[in-house]
Amino acid sequence: MARAFKRKGELFVAKLDAAERAVIAGLLDQTRALLAPAESLTDTGDPFADLVASLGPDFGSSFTGEDHEHRRADPDPERDPALDRLLPDAHRGDPAIAAEFRRLTEQDLRRRKSDNLARASAVLRAAETERVALPKPDAEALLVALTDTRLLLAERLGIQTESDVEAVEGVVARVPDHPLAYAVAVYDFLTWLQDSLAGALMGRRHFG
Amino acid sequence: MSIAPVQERQSETADLAEPATPWITLVWNDPVNLMSYVTYVFQSYFNYPRAKAEKLMMDVHTLGKAVVSNGSREEMERDAMAMQGYGLWATFEKDE
Repeated sequence: MARAFKRKGELFVAKLDAAERAVIAGLLDQTRALLAPAESLTDTGDPFADLVASLGPDFGSSFTGEDHEHRRADPDPERDPALDRLLPDAHRGDPAIAAEFRRLTEQDLRRRKSDNLARASAVLRAAETERVALPKPDAEALLVALTDTRLLLAERLGIQTESDVEAVEGVVARVPDHPLAYAVAVYDFLTWLQDSLAGALMGRRHFG
Repeated sequence: MSIAPVQERQSETADLAEPATPWITLVWNDPVNLMSYVTYVFQSYFNYPRAKAEKLMMDVHTLGKAVVSNGSREEMERDAMAMQGYGLWATFEKDE
């Protein structure tokens, strides 16, 4: 059973069993694959690694009729909408400024995110016991990596607004064997883990 | 809504360099980003004190957005890029 992150001296310590570490690392790798599509990823042999891929861009769209217009002024039909969730337009109202900013920053941001996700995944895969003890730079890498991964999962689950969260949670609560139930459980698990890590990094066990 | 200081508007002449009107960086609400994480990002990137970081986070959460920094266009592009690096939904614009 997992235990949330706490600060212990200079380290940030959680308990995650081998299966939990593999699920998280697999999802970090999937997120990295989306952000750095040119790089080939080695097969991890991880049974959960293809969870995100198996969901696909339209899997959760039945929950919401929303499109992505507000995030992208010039949508490219070939482009995975999750990329626009991770790298939204940086200017509202002026598509030319947004496009220029994207041209100047997107490759750099994708490389930075990709490197960070690789680091966080490697840290989890390197853990040999259920005690995951991270120095601050690794903890911060994992914290940010969890954000990108949750953004991708949320996009796949059709979560665009606060009410979508309730809608999705409600559906899987009513229909326990719903095909989204596992992904929602994983999303909730990552949320819980990330919240504990953010709190530990700020020197408070519980936030708020 | 803006936290930018009030500046005297310079006379507008097409050929002059851009006037020193501040630009702003905004962070928008997103159901994915956690209150704890958003506060953490504002503290660690901007070096804002805890109280200011929490106030901005609450503005994002309850009002839908907050102005998190202001300055030159170049600085705001850098801040918006950094916020996107953290996975926050950030934009920049000229403060009108």
